[in-house]
Amino acid sequence: MILHKKIKREILENKSPYIGSLVLIMISCMLYIMLNMLAVSMQESVNAFETDYIQEDASFVTAAPLANTAQLEEDYNILLEQGASFDYDITDSKTLRVFRSNEKINLPAITEGSMPRAGQVLVDPAFAKANGYEIGDNLRIKDKVYEISGFFSLPNYIYLIKSQSDLLSDANSFGIAMLGASDFNIYESSAKTSYSVKFNSGEESLQVQAAAFRDAIAEQGNMVTQWTDTANNNRVTIVEAKMEGVGQVSTVLPITILLLTCVLSGIVILRMIKQDSAIIGTLYAQGYRKREIINHYMRYPLVIALLGGIIGTILGLLTLKPMTTFMLSYFNIPISKSVIVPVYIFVSLALPFVLLGLSGLFILIRELRYSPVSLIRGDRKTGKVNFIERKAKLDKFKFKTKFKLREQFRSPSRLIFLLFGIILATMLLLLGFTAKSSMDYLMGENITGTMLFKYEYIYNTVHLEEPPAGAEIFSAGEFYTPGHSDIPFTVSGIEPDTKMLAFKDKSGDALDTNKVIITQPLAEKLEIKEGDSIELIDKITSKTYTLTVDKIADAYIGETIFMPIEEFNSLIGYPAGSHIGLWSAQKLDIDEKYLYAVSSVEDTIANFEASMQPLQSALGIIGLLAFIIGLVVIHVVTSLIIEENRSTISLMKVFGYRKREVNSLILNSSWVVVVLGYVLGIPLVLNLMDAAFKSMTQSIDIAFPIVINYVYVIAGFAIVYLTYELSKALSKRKLNRISMSEAIKAGRD
Amino acid sequence: MFIEIENLQKSYFNGSVETKVLKGLDMSLDKSEIGVILGPSGSGKSTLMNIIGGIDRADEGSVIVDGVNITRLGDAKLTDYRREELGFIFQFYNLVPNLTVGENIEVVSNISREPLGTDEVLRAVGIADKKHRFPRELSGGEQQRVSIARAIVKNPKLLLCDEVTGALDYTTSKEILKLIQQINKVYDTTILIITHNTAISAMANRVYRLRQGCIASQKINEEILPAERIEW
Repeated sequence: MILHKKIKREILENKSPYIGSLVLIMISCMLYIMLNMLAVSMQESVNAFETDYIQEDASFVTAAPLANTAQLEEDYNILLEQGASFDYDITDSKTLRVFRSNEKINLPAITEGSMPRAGQVLVDPAFAKANGYEIGDNLRIKDKVYEISGFFSLPNYIYLIKSQSDLLSDANSFGIAMLGASDFNIYESSAKTSYSVKFNSGEESLQVQAAAFRDAIAEQGNMVTQWTDTANNNRVTIVEAKMEGVGQVSTVLPITILLLTCVLSGIVILRMIKQDSAIIGTLYAQGYRKREIINHYMRYPLVIALLGGIIGTILGLLTLKPMTTFMLSYFNIPISKSVIVPVYIFVSLALPFVLLGLSGLFILIRELRYSPVSLIRGDRKTGKVNFIERKAKLDKFKFKTKFKLREQFRSPSRLIFLLFGIILATMLLLLGFTAKSSMDYLMGENITGTMLFKYEYIYNTVHLEEPPAGAEIFSAGEFYTPGHSDIPFTVSGIEPDTKMLAFKDKSGDALDTNKVIITQPLAEKLEIKEGDSIELIDKITSKTYTLTVDKIADAYIGETIFMPIEEFNSLIGYPAGSHIGLWSAQKLDIDEKYLYAVSSVEDTIANFEASMQPLQSALGIIGLLAFIIGLVVIHVVTSLIIEENRSTISLMKVFGYRKREVNSLILNSSWVVVVLGYVLGIPLVLNLMDAAFKSMTQSIDIAFPIVINYVYVIAGFAIVYLTYELSKALSKRKLNRISMSEAIKAGRD
Repeated sequence: MFIEIENLQKSYFNGSVETKVLKGLDMSLDKSEIGVILGPSGSGKSTLMNIIGGIDRADEGSVIVDGVNITRLGDAKLTDYRREELGFIFQFYNLVPNLTVGENIEVVSNISREPLGTDEVLRAVGIADKKHRFPRELSGGEQQRVSIARAIVKNPKLLLCDEVTGALDYTTSKEILKLIQQINKVYDTTILIITHNTAISAMANRVYRLRQGCIASQKINEEILPAERIEW
């Protein structure tokens, strides 16, 4: 059809809305392809790693070494291996955890180089990169120098965090290394040992198999003092949570952007039909059928959808590989699989086509129902006043305010597009700021205000002796409530009137530490109120106890119940004075072989601050995306307003309006919507992040207060408003180009 | 003289083709007079009005309005000239469709130093009851009345009327012309009407007939007819 020649010319003449639509579709298709395939690729890579390198199902520590391990393996159809490791502090803030090479479970995956022979060592690639080590370099461990034979990953250390309670990995301060058994021998006496177990009976659940196995250990007269299921191992589950996070945004975000594009494309078609109404009427008069007219006008959204879909999909596919490699290297996963899923490619190409096609078709059918005469006369073209405009009582306002308000009421679809776009841009922008604020709050006043000790020492087994001067003892056990074995938590016995912990309730009032206190995140997960009784099941012995919770503490230091230590010991049946660890304000001199873990609050905070650095660049990228979406949306709306007001602008110039007065009336009319969109975006992002984070962290022992610092709220607003100002500046030229002769000629064509 | 034009020349270029639209035109109009410029399409009357109205520039010659040679004014001064001195009435009314009648008038009063009241001008043009209506809800004649009210709200020294009756029927046209004549008397406004309707020249003090960019004839009316007596 000769009419189709118009398509290219129309698009080139009115670039802004078309380019805006194209950019939005490209972004949404790129994100859709990249995020969805990234989630699949990561999942497959992790699965392959966990299976091929025999990831443990649980790790545990016993009071005494296990006897007859071969017999236990046979009787319970399990793999059992004792692992050993020690921490070597390279500097005060840099720790290398050195493992003995395993043979059955948690096998090292060599990503580069080879297995270590005598005098050689493996290190994890992130630590090597961060500290400038290459294969063949020498690495000093304690008094001996080893040659780095290669880089490796461990399936039980996918996410490299020093302590289970750490949030973010930081290769600058923590890494892992592995020595062959013969080299490790010299450190054996000071090494910590733990067992790894892999259950092979697929018929029974892991819980049942684990319980039977623990009973067998008890029958030996031995006792399990620490037990961590892989399902609760943050070094593994954080990866799952992050993948779930990718999965959550991979559909919602692109479809939201696509819906935004549908509104935009609908506005553009509607405007075009109104402008072309005389042409359409004339075409009808010449014998064109409605079908042919629709065929022509449908090409505009479909061309944009197809073009945007193809470019976006290609960009998504191109970014998949580097993104997968980046994410996997971040998690120390040696197997990189870039999985191409054809159905996602199909959806990415079809979805914009279908959504834009449907919205376009809906508008076309609605607008083309008028008679040729009505279309030729342009009855629908100008002057129609909608319900809101008619009903708005604006007499009390100044002219400028009235004009700007009417400009917004004039096109509800344009208003929705702008509001929706600003909310989306605000949410994306504040996502990063909220994450940072929440982490700052957690690591700042919440942790330092609650944990008053500097060092935490956890023994391998229960101790009874008096603590060193200045230190306080504590007891702890892992429990769950009936029906919630997936929510394990710690019950900790603390000294009366402890100086090591301080709790506050939601209103900021100090709590008595001689009561039974539950932390806020655990209370939320278990849905517990103050005064409630809860039934506890000991994770290791499966014994049941009942406890009444006195207070809820506004503390995000893990999912824990605190109670007086003597009450705890008598509840569990431990002798008076029993304890599993020490809290101290000073560093204590305790032989490492008696310790299961040591952590320093200062190190945790320092590590956290260091590890926020890479996260900030990721948040920067999200912020940039928000800026682009905001700019596109505001610029497109401003362009539409200018286009719709061409004759009014021209008229104003004739009447003697100065440039800045015209700019102010036309370009500033959207500022209220921009501010409103931003204000609405804040609670939405907080609620969204709270919900997303709760669902993501259900399986891991991390709770997060979602807060946003007012400084970031102001900074976010400044960015959104600057985007608005930039868009206005870009539009000024367009506005200045409108000549006065347009008003003079108006109505003559 | 309130308006004094000498040797006014204007050409347009379409590629390398030059079209001389005004070829050394002279004319004048006294304060408080009504002037009519007649001429067929292409005679240059719209270009002349655009130059007097300060929305186009002359190539040669001078246009002195109330003692100021507007051909020498820069863009900013020319904007001030339109803002303070001029009122425009267009053939197709050029009302802002999404503003009410009252708000359309405010478009101009908003930037005027000493505007008349919106209600006063609406009463003067006889549509005080239509203040809250939108242009689409009015007849052509009523829309032109709004356009007139908008033009006079700033109490301009010079009112430029471009084919004001061109889109109206006979009866309505006469009512509009009557209103223009009334404004001339009540507000002492100098008025320049551009039209191809020769009958309108009967209500003018001075009549200029344009042909191919030149003044073909000019006439001073000794006997000015009231608008209601004009026939065509």
